[in-house]
Amino acid sequence: MKLRLPNTRLTTEYVQDTALFRSWTARTGIALCALAWLVAPLVLPEYWATVLVYAGIAAIGALGLNLLTGFTGQVSLGHAAFYGIGAYSAAVFAERFGLPFPFWLIAAAAVGGMVGGLTGPFALRLRGNYLVIVSLGLLVLGQHVFENWTSVTGGLTGRTVRAPVVLGPFNAGSLVLFGTRLTRSQGYLYFVWAVVTVLALAARNIVRTRPGRALQAIRDRDLAAEVIGVSQVHYKVGAFVVSSGYAACAGAIYASYARFVSPLDFSLFLSIQFTAMIVVGGIGTIHGSILGALFLTLLPRAIESVSGSLPFVSQDGSGAGLTVQSLNQAMFGLLIICFLLFEPLGIAEVWRRIARYFKAWPFTY
Amino acid sequence: MPLLEVEGITLRFGGVTALSGVSFTVEPGELFAIIGPNGAGKTSIFNCLNGVYRPAEGRIALAGQSLMGVGATQTAKLGIARTFQNLGLFSHLTVLENILLGRHHLMTTGFLAGAIWWGRARREELAQRRHCEDIIELLELEPYRFSPVSLLPYGVRKRVEVARAVAMDPRLLLLDEPAAGMNLEESEDMARYIREINEELQVAMILVEHDMHMVMDLAHRVMAMDFGKVLAIGLPDEVRTNPAVIEAYLGAGAA
Repeated sequence: MKLRLPNTRLTTEYVQDTALFRSWTARTGIALCALAWLVAPLVLPEYWATVLVYAGIAAIGALGLNLLTGFTGQVSLGHAAFYGIGAYSAAVFAERFGLPFPFWLIAAAAVGGMVGGLTGPFALRLRGNYLVIVSLGLLVLGQHVFENWTSVTGGLTGRTVRAPVVLGPFNAGSLVLFGTRLTRSQGYLYFVWAVVTVLALAARNIVRTRPGRALQAIRDRDLAAEVIGVSQVHYKVGAFVVSSGYAACAGAIYASYARFVSPLDFSLFLSIQFTAMIVVGGIGTIHGSILGALFLTLLPRAIESVSGSLPFVSQDGSGAGLTVQSLNQAMFGLLIICFLLFEPLGIAEVWRRIARYFKAWPFTY
Repeated sequence: MPLLEVEGITLRFGGVTALSGVSFTVEPGELFAIIGPNGAGKTSIFNCLNGVYRPAEGRIALAGQSLMGVGATQTAKLGIARTFQNLGLFSHLTVLENILLGRHHLMTTGFLAGAIWWGRARREELAQRRHCEDIIELLELEPYRFSPVSLLPYGVRKRVEVARAVAMDPRLLLLDEPAAGMNLEESEDMARYIREINEELQVAMILVEHDMHMVMDLAHRVMAMDFGKVLAIGLPDEVRTNPAVIEAYLGAGAA
């Protein structure tokens, strides 16, 4: 009988403790994701490519919110505003100042981060529900500015955005691969998920090093954190800066891809969606943010695509029963309730449980 | 020169005087114990020393440097580490991460370097990881390195907290009831750890503890308190036989 070797090697070096993907299953998983990233844009129909672009943009925002809420314990409903700031900043930097690609994105993220940093001090005085209300106030304030600063935002009617993602021979808007011209969605699919990967790795690195440990210390026990030398001012403001920077980056890519933005894109519902993504995906996990964003972006589209064969659902509301849209809304609400009740740690926890099962297999524990 | 000088500190909460005119000194490398009934002001002294409370009057100095008006984060950098009476651990983090957090003020990686990982952050993480292993060994926490603190039994958590405090490379270690709630065997172990830290690492300590055997066996000097006032300071035997101390513990007439 062949001896079955365990999933992970014994560690003999401290370096091995720091490996991000230690088991061969994790490494295989990452390889499969990379393969999917390469192949998916080429084989997916245009519609699903578009959906996945939006899922990637949402994942960036969810990553940011999870750093703030999941890792630092600061709840925020203001992230739609930072997302909006990113979108309008991208428009201004790319169009008015004519900055080329990586720079308008970095500048937009920086503006979002700075505005986020200004809201950080509120978190020093307030916590829990009170902070939620303040962040809601900031969102309303943001909405007001978006609607009325017409020279920048175009007001309620919105504005067009020209912020092309062009870097040398790479042009996400019209990518040429093996002699074939890809569609805009296909090109952006490559681009967006590359950004997701970079930002997810950056977030993962933050949470496993000194600054991330400090954030989690503040989340778990703020007084004890202070006593061992973790400055709450520094790290709460830092968490807001990084988190809103992520949101602004997502907003900037959204503006670049959609080419049109209006204040309606940055409503409270977007903030709630980000929150739902990290709750469903897994609070305080990096991969959970991405899974949650994928899940909540794909679910409504999946419901739409099967709704034709569902009884009591009509496409346009003319027939009896539910419309697709109301079914979607009901499912969204129901899903969040179910996750909070039955799996408050989200998809990441389901994933972990399955992984643990196979790690111990064939034993049950 | 004494390591710590406390001179006449008074702390009031509204009409309640938690500490009134408390003075004592701690020598370098000394194991100084504070005893007293509940509410005597032992923990309040700790809170004053590490900047959580600000005394209304008096003077506190660490190695000649005043600690008055210095915040909690800053006192950690100046070399005061502390454990909490009812645990101040970060329960979702692992034992190793908790101990690494003790090294926080000795590290420099910021958000940007941390996000990049390769280079400075990685070097620093590995160096500190190595250092933490010595502390893990000292407190015999090897079986728990990667366990989340919330899953550990109480006695082990108490040890993790001491380990985190030791990781801070303190000049003065404040231990708030390290053996509270432990069984006999666990408190004997804890006493051994405390002695090892004190003797091997030459760290001065202030120990607040209700376990009189532990205090009398370990401490170089003892301060007895009641109602925010100092009753006696001296060698363990002197304090034990002091009539005022016996009266505070056993009631009037017992002496």
